Amino acid sequence: MTADQEKLISEAVEKALAGDMDSINAIEDRSLRAKAKAALVKAKRAAKAEQKTETSDDAKSADSSVPQEPGSPLASLLTAFYPGEIVESSNDGNSIQIKPEKWEEIAVFLRDHADALLDQLECLTGVDLGEGEELQVRYNLHSMKHRHKLEVLINADRNSPEIPSVETVWRMADWFERETYDMYGIVFNGHRDLRRLLCPEDWEGWPLRKDYEEQKTYHGIVVPKVKEGWE
Amino acid sequence: MGLLEHKFQDNVVVASMDKLLGWARSTSPWFFQFGLACCAIEMMATAASRHDLMRIGMIPRSSPRQADVMIVAGTVTMKMALRVKKLYEQMANPKYVISMGSCATSGGPYWQYGYHVLKGVDLVVPVDVYVPGCPPRPEALIEGLLKLQEKIQAERPLTKKTA
Repeated sequence: MTADQEKLISEAVEKALAGDMDSINAIEDRSLRAKAKAALVKAKRAAKAEQKTETSDDAKSADSSVPQEPGSPLASLLTAFYPGEIVESSNDGNSIQIKPEKWEEIAVFLRDHADALLDQLECLTGVDLGEGEELQVRYNLHSMKHRHKLEVLINADRNSPEIPSVETVWRMADWFERETYDMYGIVFNGHRDLRRLLCPEDWEGWPLRKDYEEQKTYHGIVVPKVKEGWE
Repeated sequence: MGLLEHKFQDNVVVASMDKLLGWARSTSPWFFQFGLACCAIEMMATAASRHDLMRIGMIPRSSPRQADVMIVAGTVTMKMALRVKKLYEQMANPKYVISMGSCATSGGPYWQYGYHVLKGVDLVVPVDVYVPGCPPRPEALIEGLLKLQEKIQAERPLTKKTA
């Protein structure tokens, strides 16, 4: 990126933060516009995090003696059995971010433990947290017996995203993981048949990543729009 | 006149061979059903009893080797584009292609940001008739088919081509 472009982006982001989204939408170059949008998201997130730390500081100063208890039975169950694996837990305890290393073991635990019995994997999706940030996989689990739900979040490094596969734990995960691999390039270690699900097998790149740029040709066929002047 | 007079039964056709071939080809263009997306529903409706494609001599075929016309009905993805080309090449001459709907014609709603969509089926196979619409109603498809029939009728397959 040249200095001019950086300046253009920073100006547009400042205007957008003040509430004027048109300044970003008016950028003509597509990749530049995408970069500006990513920068905006980043700026917004930074502002939010700042706010959060301020409020939590206030809360701590008010009542610092009581440690924050996770808000759901599932969260406290996980904290009891795998204390070192939890990175972050939401206030209601329904959404827990864990480290990737022991994920397969934790998955079996969550499926089989009598108090958890999360026997159904409802959904598995990837998330791109933005330019320069990590990729994330989210598992939405549900228990038929207890009728409770849990969302498990696992972050993966953008450059070599690897996460243990739970395809053998929940058979549902088979195609879910293949789709996530297809769209985000996240490698699920231990998956027995990790191929692309939707895109052709010789497709280049990971389409749902925010820095994705489509290839110019595919088997000699032009990929981006070519019929200029139709609009 | 004396040579030909009263020599034939009354079921003889006297016409130019070109016109005869054009008539025969244009009135029985069997089509290769290529339903890829929602346009396929309209194509099925066109072939079904209310609109009855049979009355203009069209029968849906499931094999490219038995078909004269390929109706590309729906969004052609990059993955499918290679297959479309291969199936077109398997059809016997003379062969025609109808591009049905916005997606097959230009990419449709996936026109600008659809990385996985072919921006018009004419990038891989030659197209004879474009039918606009999203999806086109059966009347529109029939109009396109009649246009194709006109085109086939006007062809002169036996006449020597002069450059």
